[in-house]
Amino acid sequence: MTNRLLLFFFILGLAGSIFLQNAHDRNHDYFGEKDIFLALPPGKTLRIASFGFDNLVADSLYIWAIQLYSSYHLQNRYDYIEHIFNTITDISPHYIDPYSIGAMIMGEEAGDFQMAIRLLEKGIANNPQNWILLHDAGFFAQKGLKNYIKAADYYGRAAQIPTAPPLMKRLQAHWTYMQDNLDEAWKMWMEIYTSSTEYQAKRSAFNHLFQIKSDRDTTLLNQKITEYKALKRHLPSSLDDLVREGLLKTIPNDFSGSPYEYDRPTGTVHPKLNFRWKKNF
Amino acid sequence: MNWKAIVLNTLKEAIRNKIFYLLFFFGLFFVFSSRIIGLLTIGDQTKVIKDVGLASINFFCVLIAIFTGINLVHKEIDKKTIYTILSKPISRDQFILGKFLGLLLTVGIALASMATIFILFLVLTTGKFEASLLLYFLMLFMELAILISISLLFSSFSTPILSSIFTITIYLIGQITWTYNHFKYLLKTPLTRVLTDVVYYLLPNLHKYNVKNEIVLGTPVAIGQLLVAVGYSVLYIGCILFATLMIFRKREFQ
Repeated sequence: MTNRLLLFFFILGLAGSIFLQNAHDRNHDYFGEKDIFLALPPGKTLRIASFGFDNLVADSLYIWAIQLYSSYHLQNRYDYIEHIFNTITDISPHYIDPYSIGAMIMGEEAGDFQMAIRLLEKGIANNPQNWILLHDAGFFAQKGLKNYIKAADYYGRAAQIPTAPPLMKRLQAHWTYMQDNLDEAWKMWMEIYTSSTEYQAKRSAFNHLFQIKSDRDTTLLNQKITEYKALKRHLPSSLDDLVREGLLKTIPNDFSGSPYEYDRPTGTVHPKLNFRWKKNF
Repeated sequence: MNWKAIVLNTLKEAIRNKIFYLLFFFGLFFVFSSRIIGLLTIGDQTKVIKDVGLASINFFCVLIAIFTGINLVHKEIDKKTIYTILSKPISRDQFILGKFLGLLLTVGIALASMATIFILFLVLTTGKFEASLLLYFLMLFMELAILISISLLFSSFSTPILSSIFTITIYLIGQITWTYNHFKYLLKTPLTRVLTDVVYYLLPNLHKYNVKNEIVLGTPVAIGQLLVAVGYSVLYIGCILFATLMIFRKREFQ
């Protein structure tokens, strides 16, 4: 057989295989709904069956899971999400990404924040010195569960870890404030305000302390104005009238040291600044 | 002729073997492909690069150790070159030890080359050198040394195909013998427990050399584990080599 004939058969074979592959692809719906998998053995079994290549198996499953949860046309992709991420994290319990990304998919995409927190709790138990998982759990507790006590607790535990950034303390203080636990929040923010040298931290602490103080002061002042009106049958001409009448010893100033604004026609007191964090929640 | 000549000759012979290059370059191909696989992940790409790279080096070095080791003694007998060698002033013990050291050197060179390339690749990719990787390669080298001794043991009395099956099986069992401690409570009678214990201690326990997790995730490797691994390698390899010598001394060549 000559070389030309061999080349002819090679090209013929190649063309034939291309034709057959195209025919197969035309009749195959690669993007249609399909079963996610037949069976995924438990992580502990896979760990043994990986014969020492457990890291590689965990990576492969994790990368596959990312591709699966990026396949938005698959409506049933969340059916076994907890099992998949539990398997990955059973094989490699100290691999942090599957906890973080798995919880994000569970919470943000599948809308199951309880499940997301369950996965993160597992990660926290396996990696007690990792602040990122505690931060993520705090985020889902606050955003998904609206459980600010739990959120502040997670951020507080994250703040205890030596490698955690100072932001964790601020988040703990913020979500303590959001629970209306103002005494505790005041203590936390005051500690940050006095100990921090970072501009952003100091400014954040200032804003919170300003807000807590102005909330308390304006509530007190408005209450005293009401008492004044009940006594005198008219509104005070200025806040000093409250002192003159003996309702208050002194008129408090806001956290920056400036006086509060008194609106005489309505008889209400307002701070100059108002940080409405709670308005959005 | 002394045992050093056997060592060098084994090295030359192994390096001339085409399968050695095939496995070596295939291993390197997977090391480099780790960069592409790393791109598919979300999060720490370096971890995936390290996982794939270290697993590739591990896997292909194991194959090099097995497929080069199984032929060593059998080929000499099959080609009848053993007569020439043993007619020189060299004992059977020196022949076996020379073969072992030669193969250890071959695998060591392959591992060192792959490790150097991988470390350079990692430095270029991540911009930093991680000394802890050297500890991983040291542990892998000890594991490979055990595997070489086992492949040499089988090669001393069996055919290459059977030797490769036995060595691969023992390697796989060696990776999971640690699980025995989880289920030995299921063994009811003292006799079965003793017999299984004997098998457990006879087979190599290679799990202790697997420090990929610690190296990749940056957690410390206990010094105790390292010392136990070194001691275990020396003692276990010694036992296997003694067994090989005992078999080879009694072997008759026709």
